[in-house]
Amino acid sequence: MAARYYDGESAGVQEVLLRVTASELVIYRPADSSIVARWPVADLSVLGDSQHEAVPPVILRGSEARLAIEDPAWRKQLAALVPTLKPLALEPVKVAPRLGAYSLAIVALIGLFWSAIEYGTGYAAPLLPYSWQVKLGETVLDQLIADEEECTGKAGLAAINRLANDLAKEAGYPHEVTVHVVKGGPVNAFTLPGSILVFYSDLIDQATSTQVAGVLAHEIGHVVHYHPTKGLVRAYGFDLLIKLLTGGYSDVLTTFGSGGTALLALRNGRAFEREADETGVRLLEKSGLRADGVSTFFEQMLKKKPEDAATEAGIWSSHPPTQERIAATKRPPSGKLPFTTAEWQALKNVCK
Amino acid sequence: MSDASSPWQQAAIEQANRSAGEGAGASGPVNPPGGTWNRPDLTPSQPVYDGRLGELYAIYLRHLALMLVTLGWSRFWGRTRIRRYVWNHMSVLGDRFEYRGRGRELLIGFLLALLLIAAWAGLMYVVWIYVFHEKPFASFGMFDIFSLSVFLIGFPLAYVGHYAGLRYKLSRTRWRGIRCGMAGSAWRYGAIATFLHFANASTAYLLTPVVSVNLARPRIVNARVGTQGFAFAGSAGDIYGRYLGYYFLNIVAWIVAAGATFALIGGTIESLGFTFADVQKLFSHPSLRTLVVVLAIGFAAYLVFGLLILPLRCWWQAYLMRYLVTRSRAGNVLFATALSTRQMWGFLVLNYLIVLLTLGIGWPWVMHRTMKLIAGQLWIYGAPLSDDIRQPTDLGPTYGEGLLDLFDVSGV
Repeated sequence: MAARYYDGESAGVQEVLLRVTASELVIYRPADSSIVARWPVADLSVLGDSQHEAVPPVILRGSEARLAIEDPAWRKQLAALVPTLKPLALEPVKVAPRLGAYSLAIVALIGLFWSAIEYGTGYAAPLLPYSWQVKLGETVLDQLIADEEECTGKAGLAAINRLANDLAKEAGYPHEVTVHVVKGGPVNAFTLPGSILVFYSDLIDQATSTQVAGVLAHEIGHVVHYHPTKGLVRAYGFDLLIKLLTGGYSDVLTTFGSGGTALLALRNGRAFEREADETGVRLLEKSGLRADGVSTFFEQMLKKKPEDAATEAGIWSSHPPTQERIAATKRPPSGKLPFTTAEWQALKNVCK
Repeated sequence: MSDASSPWQQAAIEQANRSAGEGAGASGPVNPPGGTWNRPDLTPSQPVYDGRLGELYAIYLRHLALMLVTLGWSRFWGRTRIRRYVWNHMSVLGDRFEYRGRGRELLIGFLLALLLIAAWAGLMYVVWIYVFHEKPFASFGMFDIFSLSVFLIGFPLAYVGHYAGLRYKLSRTRWRGIRCGMAGSAWRYGAIATFLHFANASTAYLLTPVVSVNLARPRIVNARVGTQGFAFAGSAGDIYGRYLGYYFLNIVAWIVAAGATFALIGGTIESLGFTFADVQKLFSHPSLRTLVVVLAIGFAAYLVFGLLILPLRCWWQAYLMRYLVTRSRAGNVLFATALSTRQMWGFLVLNYLIVLLTLGIGWPWVMHRTMKLIAGQLWIYGAPLSDDIRQPTDLGPTYGEGLLDLFDVSGV
């Protein structure tokens, strides 16, 4: 058996022959049969394996010396004689079946991962410790309204918070909702993790009480479905999936991946908006309140700006086209008013 | 290469001196009278890479599957397996390399780097409480402070990580049973690299040769195989002429490319009767047409950049690589490469496109191509004085690559 012998002390290499006795592996020079080393069989070992190493080296435990046997037939022969060197005889794995099996496994795992993100977040989001969600929401709120003026009219805030919590209770939501009103525009409202709602006073100024209630019910829809938390978990999940698949080997791929994640987040956003619209209207109806506020609010917005930004933006929009939302939320003007006259007045004056 | 500073000439002189010294004692003559010496052994050889793409893919796909199952935590072991394969299928002078790193060493390195970041986050939290008094300043909250500070420290730390990662990889690499290694301070390298890159960016990249040579030098001269060190006889002055040529040609190429791009885009949009609204609709409401347009834009970008800007860059990079390789030596072993612009294009551009268009799945193919390129284009002249190269006493770092993993896109 021929091999290359490295003594582990210098970079010298010797072409050697091997002979196995009952207790030793004898390494000798072919020219004059002089002994290079005698390795006790009990201390022999193989580094690595034939799947990864072309020539797994044979070593003497506790020594830096090595033997490299290039010929697979000789490796097998040595393994047959020395049981501890069995890994030397392992056949390299058959590539084609492995490639097929791993490819299938990867496709199946991507499917599973995707499903877990797409459907699992619905179950996982409410399980996240609520105090974390509140902390996160408060931190984001602090940053978002750092340069804004928050309205502090006690009665107005009490009115909007009362309705918000009534609607949340109607949905069986177990946590308290907090509504903040920020002075100025845009004509908008949004929801943060931890049941935190933010209304801009321009919306309250320009809308009727049923419209404000409609928008509020829509935001409560986001709250009770944990949309902000779900959105974050999904965005993180997709980002992780892309990183895992691309191995993070290219910054351009990561950039493309981020673009893909953003598009998916927007798609999720549109689905969340539809769900919040549907839930908001349902909660108002269930509470016996007028539920036409959502659609009339959208109509009013569309009248002011006929070129609907959501329609124009298409896949880049976080909201569905406004016409679609109007059609989905259209309700008759029946039911109780959401606020008492005093409440509505107080809310109108919340920033004064 | 006829001057005495050439590494070829230096090695020849040293070899001759060694031969002369052996005959005449340690204080023997430097050169024989008349300036002649025994010609050193400069027998050429090339590394051999006998890895197979299918085998590499089998290892990579297993790694990818495990990554999905373990949410990325298996990457330390996956990387190690790929390295074991690639290293052991590359041989120099008939002897294969070995990679003896362990996944858990990479995991420990990563956890330590994570601890470093956690400590940094703690420090930023203290700043948030005592300096900002938990109040955002101009919408600049705690997350922003942390992100910005990590971005700022991440830039130099990525260079530290590069060097430390190289040290780790070398310390786990063996050739003929001898451990390789890397001396020098990674922090010093990080400081120099940060300063040089900053200076280069501040001078419109006119210092690129200085940066290239001065960052290559520590990585080359501090590397060693056992007790055998490497030498580097390069100087930025040698390559400045070529760089300036590239620099100004590159400016001209960009002007031409920009002109061609605007003419192409403007002309196409106009000739097809596209309005801004049409373009907006095309990308906001994707259809088959959008795909065709994206492919056409991609092809046009490839034509403009792939055939005008990038070949010029490859021309410079190939020259730089040839220079760095030929100016390096290890004792009496010399290196050379005739890496061409076309081959550098294959390395830089084609490999990039492979990774991009296959969404990362083509990465083992790129690795395979790179190893083949090294094996095909690196020439080694002479053989080391093997008995003089001893096993180093130092075992190298006990963990590795944490910073590289955190602050840099880290391949195998």
